[in-house]
Formats: sequence, structure tokens, C-alpha cells
Amino acid sequence: MSGVVMEAVNVAKVLGTGPAQVRALKGVNLTLRGGELTLLMGPSGSGKTTLLSILGCMLTPTEGTVRVRGESVEGRGPEELAKLRRENIGYVFQSYHLFPTLTAADNVRLALDVRDEGGRKAKARAKDALARVGLAQKTINYPRQLSGGEQQRVAIARAVVGDPSVVLADEPTAALDSENGKAIMGILAEIAKDPNRGVLVVTHDPRLVPYADRIVHIEDGNIVREETRGGTRREETGRA
Amino acid sequence: MPLTFTLAFRNLFHDRLRLIATVIGIVFSIVLVMVQMGLYLGFGRMVTTMIDNASADLWIMPKGTKCFEDPSLLDARQRNRALSVPGVAEAIPVVIGFADWRTPSGSSTPVFVVGSDLRSGGLQPWNLVEGRIESLSTPNAVAVDKTYFERLGISGLGARAEIRQQTVRVAAVTEGIRSFTTTPYVFMDVDRARAYTGTPSSKATYFLVNVDRGANTDTVRSNLRSTLGDVEVLTPHEFRERSRSFWLFGTGAGAALFAGALLGVIVGTVIVAQTLYSSTKDHINEFATLRAIGSSRGYIYKVIIWQAILNAVIGFSLAALVGWAVVRATAASALPIVITPELGAGLFLLTVVMCVVSAVAAIMKVTRIDPAQVFTR
Repeated sequence: MSGVVMEAVNVAKVLGTGPAQVRALKGVNLTLRGGELTLLMGPSGSGKTTLLSILGCMLTPTEGTVRVRGESVEGRGPEELAKLRRENIGYVFQSYHLFPTLTAADNVRLALDVRDEGGRKAKARAKDALARVGLAQKTINYPRQLSGGEQQRVAIARAVVGDPSVVLADEPTAALDSENGKAIMGILAEIAKDPNRGVLVVTHDPRLVPYADRIVHIEDGNIVREETRGGTRREETGRA
Repeated sequence: MPLTFTLAFRNLFHDRLRLIATVIGIVFSIVLVMVQMGLYLGFGRMVTTMIDNASADLWIMPKGTKCFEDPSLLDARQRNRALSVPGVAEAIPVVIGFADWRTPSGSSTPVFVVGSDLRSGGLQPWNLVEGRIESLSTPNAVAVDKTYFERLGISGLGARAEIRQQTVRVAAVTEGIRSFTTTPYVFMDVDRARAYTGTPSSKATYFLVNVDRGANTDTVRSNLRSTLGDVEVLTPHEFRERSRSFWLFGTGAGAALFAGALLGVIVGTVIVAQTLYSSTKDHINEFATLRAIGSSRGYIYKVIIWQAILNAVIGFSLAALVGWAVVRATAASALPIVITPELGAGLFLLTVVMCVVSAVAAIMKVTRIDPAQVFTR
């Protein structure tokens, strides 16, 4: 295990206005370390997705701050946040979000292209990333020509091709059968072995527990419990 | 090839029906603009055809003459005064005017008489396909264009008719001298033109001045102005511009053509804007994904602008083909549509600008994208 790659410090988020106002997060503290796969588990409406959006620098917290590699993102504008995302964070979405009109290789290459990395080098990196997720033979296939599991692998390749410090995965196995789910989790666990990269997987699927180095439970906008491979470390402290 | 271009290209061709609708809209719009501007150029050329084909360094005309067809008259004595100006080699009288052409069958049709001193040149018929210029010096001889045979009730060389109860005989036939007013031109000797238009022998419509070799045209013009006083002395270029200005803007014809062109641009902009906007809306999840993985707004704008440019290139290419067919079809008409390389280049630029401007609505749409929506879809 290595150093801290991302931190949420006293993060609170209020969604909506007036009577419809909801306090989705109530002062959450979470640390992601390199070389670690963390599961964020909780029931629907517990604040998982809101926390993921804030950690992913797509949503700004009402209170508290997020630090990426020690740097606070507070006060940054939308373009600065976009730069931070493309340089530090890889995303894996529940419904893949691949571009149907682009080949697998081009879908992966997009993550480099948005960073102004083009040309042969980018193509080679995209192919290499696809090979790492076992799709070396499917680089020219379009998403519609791939199974759900394969599409999610392309999405993982796209997430890691830019060598991010953090990979955030939102229910990456929810749309897959158990066999494909296991394969995807195996790949994510492999990715998390890199000491410079932390992986956070949001899920409510207990079958993913064996792949985790750490499990953080969230309920009603609070982190209520944290478990490590060694056993439960802390309960209802709000800090993980 | 940039990935933004690939993405734009694939987005565009992904929905072929929408692409076809967009392209039809652009083609319709650009052909409309092309035809209006082509008519403008064609009209501009047609109204100066007599000035273009006259052999003159300077035109002397009554003050206030608006165009070639203006029938105001000069005093013929001005010719002698003009000839006395140093540097003036010739001052050829030209008489024009409307007259009634009575066909052998008894019906009549208006014609536009153009008379010039045939011994000196000046304004003679061109593109002769039958007969000779010299034969116009023979009694009652006139030249007409073969396009108007049916209208004039004649069958060709040697045919006879009447103007102002005087016999005319077709002694020469031209091809392609068409009038934008659709009134046929009838060429003849200047004295005969006076008789057929009822112009006194002491009058003429224009004097076409040729200057001596080596003489300075500007100096001659300046001396002519001071010597002749109450007349205008214009270069062919100036007279051309004045005629064009009168017919195109004095009559409102040019404004109508420009209004049509503007309508074309507006229609095209709206169609492209609408289809680009709906395409962007359809691909909004993809743009949100791009934003989520860290693309700048500029990167997404590039994709949309590439789409707009691709629309423009495809639309313009098809519009150019239609334009080419229209030019060919109208080449022999009274008002041919003229498309010059400059107009073609201008229209291409206009198409690109129109399509890129149309992208603004789509760009505004993506500007408001919330990248976090990728987690909820």
C-alpha cells in the first residue's frame, strides 16, 4: 500500500431547494490510498452516487473539500475541474457509456485525445490498454459487436489508459452476469495493485466483497462502518 | 485524422435520415442564394451588353442619363464641337429608341432600335451568323437576332416587315444578342434609326468618342466637359456602373434579388441549426461522457463545429452540381444565371459560415451539460 491519492474532508452536500431540500451527505471523511481497492457500499439513497460525483470532481460539495494527490479542488472552475479529471481520474460507469460510433480502440483513445495526446503513440497506448483487459483481438470492434462484459472492459481500458491516480467505478458489475462480474472485478483488483493508484468501487453487491482491500459502508449520508481484510476497524465514526 | 473529426463524421452519418434532411435544407438554401446572386450577376451583365460591345473610349450623353436605354437626346452640333477638341479622333452618333415592328401578317410588337454610323464602327451588331455588316448600308436594311424570329414574324435573311409604316428588310442575322427587357434589338444605320424612331436629324442619343493614339483619355474627357458644357462624358466603365446601378437598385430589382438571397441564408441557417441542435440533443449522453472524462468545452465545440463544416461541404457540393445544371439550362435564355469563380468561392464561404453560426444553439446546449448525469443514466 502507498500514499493517499484522494481525500474527502468533512464533505456535506445539500441537494434541491425549499421543501424538497435533501442533505445527501452529512460531513463525510474518506481517504483513498494507492494500491488499494475500496468498496463503497450502501442502500439506495444512502449518498453513494453523490459522494462518487463529488470525489470525481463533477459535483462541488456544499461544505468540506476534496483533495486529489494532496491538492484541494476548492474554488476551481468547471474547466479547471475538467483538467483535474482528465489528468488524475479514470471512470467506469454502470452502463459503460461507450461511443457507439467509435471502435473499441477509438473509445479508449478518446481519454488520451481529450488530453491532447494523439498520433501513433496514443494509438499504441490504447491498444496496450485493451490488451491489458484481454481485448487485444477486438480493437476494431464497435460496442454493438461486443458483449456487455467486453464493453465494460473497454470502459476500464478507457479509464486506465491515461494512467490516473484514482479509478472511480459506479456499479461496474450491475449490468453483468456473475461470470462477467467476476472477470471485471478481477481486472479492477489487478489495476488496484499499482501502488500509485487507488480504486473505489461503488456497489451494493456483496459478491464483490472478496475483491476488496477495504469496505466502507454509507447510510443516510454518513459513513457508518469500515472493514478491512483484517476485520472491522471502526463503526459510526463518520471517518474512513 | 483528429478523433474529433471522426466522432463528428460518425455522429453525422449515424442518423442518415437526419443527414439527408439537413443536406436537402442546405442545398435548397444555397441553390436559392446561388440563383439569386447568379441572376444578379447575369442581370448586371445583360444591362450593359450594348456598352460592353461598343467601340468607344468615352461616351457623350445628355445630362442625367440613367442607363443605355434612356432615350434623352443630344444636339447633333455637339458632335462638331467634340471633334474640335484636341485628341478626339471620332465622335460617332448613336440613336436609340423604341418602335413598333409590324409583321407581314399585320400584328405588331415593340422593338428597340439601335442605330450607329456603320462606316465608323461605334455600335454595330456582333455575333453575325448570316449576312454582313456592309449590307446594312443598303436601303431599308436591318439586323435582328435569330432568337426573335418568331416574335418578329419573320423566317430569316431577306424577310420584310414595317417600322413606322416604312419597310425594313432583314440583311443580317445575329445570335445571342438578347435583351433583358425581352424587347428585340434591331440594328441599323443611324439615319435610318432616326427615321424609324422619329428622332430629328439634328439629334442623337450618344456620341461614341475614340481618342487619338497617344492621347490621354482623362485629359480629352476633361476638355470635352469644358467645351461641351451641358452634357456628361463617361468612360465605358462609369457608364456600365451607372446602368447597373439604375437597373439593379433604381428599379428595386437588385434589392428583390438580395432579399431572396437573404431569405435563402435565413432558411438554411434555421434548418442547419435545428438539425444540429437535435443531433446534439440525441448525443447528449456522449457529450456528457466526454465532459466526465475530462474533455474541455472547447473539445466538444470542435466536434460540433466539425459536424457543421461537414454539413457545409456535403451541402455545398450538391448545391454546386445543381447550380451548374441551372447555369447550363439558362445559358441561352434572356436572363442567364451567371456563376463566376468568385461567386462560387463566396458561396462556399457563406455555406461554412452559415453552418458554423447554426452550431451556436447546439453549443449552448452542451455548455450546460452536467457531467455528473453520466452516473444517473
